Amino acid sequence: MARFISRRLLLALITLWLLATIVFVIANVLPNDVGRTILGPFAPQESVDALNKRLGTDQPLIVQYVNAMKSVITFDYGDSYVTGQPVLPTLAAAIGRSAKLAGLALLITIPLAIIAGLYAARRRDRPSDRAIVLLGVTSSSIPEFVTGTILVVVVGVQLKLLPVLATPPPNADIPTQIRYLLMPATAMAIVYFGYIARMTRSGTIEVLQSDYARTATMKGLTTSQTMRRHVLRNALIPTVAVIAVQIGYLFGGIIAVEKIFNYNGMGQTMLFAAQQKDIPMLTAGAIVIGIVYMLATLAADMTIAWMNPRIRLEAER
Amino acid sequence: MDYSEVDKVRRSSTPLQLDVVESFMGGRLSRREFITRGSIIGLSMASMTAIIAACSSSASPSPSAAGSAPASAAPTAAGSAPAASASAPAVTGGTIKVASQKPVSVDPVAMQDLGGYGITAQCFEFLCTLDPNGKDIAPGLALSWTPNADGTVWTFKLRTGVTWQKDGSPFTADDVVATMERLVAAGNSGLKGVLEKGGAVATDPNTVTFTLAGGNGNFPYLVSVFNAQTLITPKDYVAGTTLDKDPNGTGAWKLATYNAQTGATFTRNDAWWGGKTPLDGTEWIFFDATGPMVTAYQGQQVDAIVQFDVLSGQSLLTDPNFNLIATEAALHRQIWMRCDTGQFAKKEVRQALAYTFDRPALIQQLFQGKAQLGNDHVIWQGYPYFDPSVPQRAQDIDKAKSLLAAAGVSNLTATLHCGQLLEIPDLATLLKSQASQAGITLNVAVESLTTFYGAQWCPDKPADPPCSGAAELGIVDYGHRATPDVYLNAALKTKGIWNSSQYSSPAFDQAFKDFQTAVGVDAQKAACTKIETILNDDTPIGLPYFYNYLAGTSKSFNGVYSSALGQMVFSAASKVA
Repeated sequence: MARFISRRLLLALITLWLLATIVFVIANVLPNDVGRTILGPFAPQESVDALNKRLGTDQPLIVQYVNAMKSVITFDYGDSYVTGQPVLPTLAAAIGRSAKLAGLALLITIPLAIIAGLYAARRRDRPSDRAIVLLGVTSSSIPEFVTGTILVVVVGVQLKLLPVLATPPPNADIPTQIRYLLMPATAMAIVYFGYIARMTRSGTIEVLQSDYARTATMKGLTTSQTMRRHVLRNALIPTVAVIAVQIGYLFGGIIAVEKIFNYNGMGQTMLFAAQQKDIPMLTAGAIVIGIVYMLATLAADMTIAWMNPRIRLEAER
Repeated sequence: MDYSEVDKVRRSSTPLQLDVVESFMGGRLSRREFITRGSIIGLSMASMTAIIAACSSSASPSPSAAGSAPASAAPTAAGSAPAASASAPAVTGGTIKVASQKPVSVDPVAMQDLGGYGITAQCFEFLCTLDPNGKDIAPGLALSWTPNADGTVWTFKLRTGVTWQKDGSPFTADDVVATMERLVAAGNSGLKGVLEKGGAVATDPNTVTFTLAGGNGNFPYLVSVFNAQTLITPKDYVAGTTLDKDPNGTGAWKLATYNAQTGATFTRNDAWWGGKTPLDGTEWIFFDATGPMVTAYQGQQVDAIVQFDVLSGQSLLTDPNFNLIATEAALHRQIWMRCDTGQFAKKEVRQALAYTFDRPALIQQLFQGKAQLGNDHVIWQGYPYFDPSVPQRAQDIDKAKSLLAAAGVSNLTATLHCGQLLEIPDLATLLKSQASQAGITLNVAVESLTTFYGAQWCPDKPADPPCSGAAELGIVDYGHRATPDVYLNAALKTKGIWNSSQYSSPAFDQAFKDFQTAVGVDAQKAACTKIETILNDDTPIGLPYFYNYLAGTSKSFNGVYSSALGQMVFSAASKVA
């Protein structure tokens, strides 16, 4: 297992370096005088030049690239070009908020979707299976911003049951935070419910049709024993892979949901940075999201390897 | 007419002030314009009231009343806070939740966005603050100001008893001088070419004398709430420092918490020179778009909205519990047409397009009537020197066709570039429809703002002349300015830094120069008449409307007022009992 993890980590580091290089290239392809952007069109050229010198944006590209790679290693991205705020605390706060929202959305989605998928698989082609499949297809085909808007108008504005803004007051306790996050998390959960439920259903059906599942039943195990000991471990492997990708996606920020509920997660932070050409914030944000993706994928790989030793052994060969 | 009162004012007035008094008495300024101009050039409210009263008692024709002076127009008396609106019984205490644009920068010297303007102005103050009517200036950190005869030297008397929040040290003239030096060094757009390094001098601890590069009758506006970066900061303040790093102002509110992503909170400054504010504090929630602000108000999560647009906030316009603050402002869109090259190089073609605009229909459809007609020049009706005698251009399709024919142009087809901002894409679509009636085909190209500004409106290259890489036709947005100098200087003067139409007219340049150096009302009006006439005839830009700045609060609060630049004032606000 250690060899498996170290190989995955090495791959992750190479991916991170590639990502940092791509982000640097993209950021520097844009024609942009950073000093002028910050100080505005009326600032004297000497002030612009002085600022560019202070920020190091007047240096040759290769020097800037080396500095960018140093930033990746030391994780020191300095201050935002636009707001003057330190980049890392800003991003840490944003990723924290995204983690809360994504966490709640996954907490709602995963148990419901897996139970629904298993239930549907056990009752294949019956009305309840068809109803779950239909519900899954329908929910995953309605974009988050549509469900979010409907929830805001109906639950927030008309019924006034939940707050329409997702950001809780400072120092709010956990129940209050959940209350504020419930609507956006539900909007996201509705979409992902369909993906995960259908993936679970198809994985379970495939395993239920396998020889070993049939053997387990024939040797006299009860349905729940068969499901717990033989089906679930194998049936959920593709589901775990899908969830891992969704975690990265959710942490990266669902901009539409964040906008509707005025929630400053990674999505809004990155969009704002892109609109303002705030290169340090944008670069650090891309790296952070990349790391989250890699960690989620690594966690999924490890979970899958734990669930299925054949995969682990193949990887170690 | 009570000449004894008038003569008293005449005797105590400087030549510039006298010019305004005589213009009012001669009927060349309305009462509204008299108050506005009078407050700019430092006439005290007592003097203006005496003149108005004297004229009112006269049997001679009264000054044209374009609107009586609002009761709240009186500049704030020394040492007292603006009185809260008495429309409903108020209680002391409580907090107001304010929905605001997320600030891009809260560096008082370098900020360029409404979000930044609004939040920094809670902590720091201006020499000339916002009058409760939302349009005029009133004494802020300066108690009074007086120009010399030709408007080249302005003397500002400062308020005493004002202290800095951090250590309680007194505010003095040295703070003002240091602030002005920082602004000049940063190339402040309002002060550029007006005030130079060393131009502000502390004559004594409570007096600052400004010696300008040339005569300027509008100077107090340039150190007021209408030039948002001129917030007075302490002498030792370092340019580039942001509000959250050093929230050491003199204002009514002290910054308690600040999060650039989510919002800020302010608490009452007990040492404020204006006395105790009725509210305990304000809580600011930052938004990236106006739609969620409106929803948040409807969901009762905010009490005030710093700015919204008609399209996003339609429901607020008819909400009986919403106190709408609709400030007439110089906010506008310019439809630039390249004058130097391309299909719009001939004046007749530009005029033809302008004749296709159905301006009343645009105002109705885009703003539900909350805008004023534009006449293809930048002199807004609210400016005291606006000349209404220049004929208003109206839709005339036959004339548009004949102008095109005279120019030898048929089947004119052009791309109308615009950014994805507020009502602009809808404006482009409506213009396309209206132009088609005259046989002009406009293809609308809506782009992200970054792409639009960088590639269509004013590309960096070629750099000389500025904006010479601009598209031949497009729509660009302009914010409110208390004087039209920036519009004229940047967008229309030869080689102006935002001159995307590449307009170059010696006659216009001279008229603008005349306007800048004019210090009397008659001279300013005369220069503006020339400017309006030249621009309307040359039509380097189409300007169909000036729209209102919309803000508002729940009716649970009163005493809130706002400028058209994002500065909402809560020092007199209170909860309704």
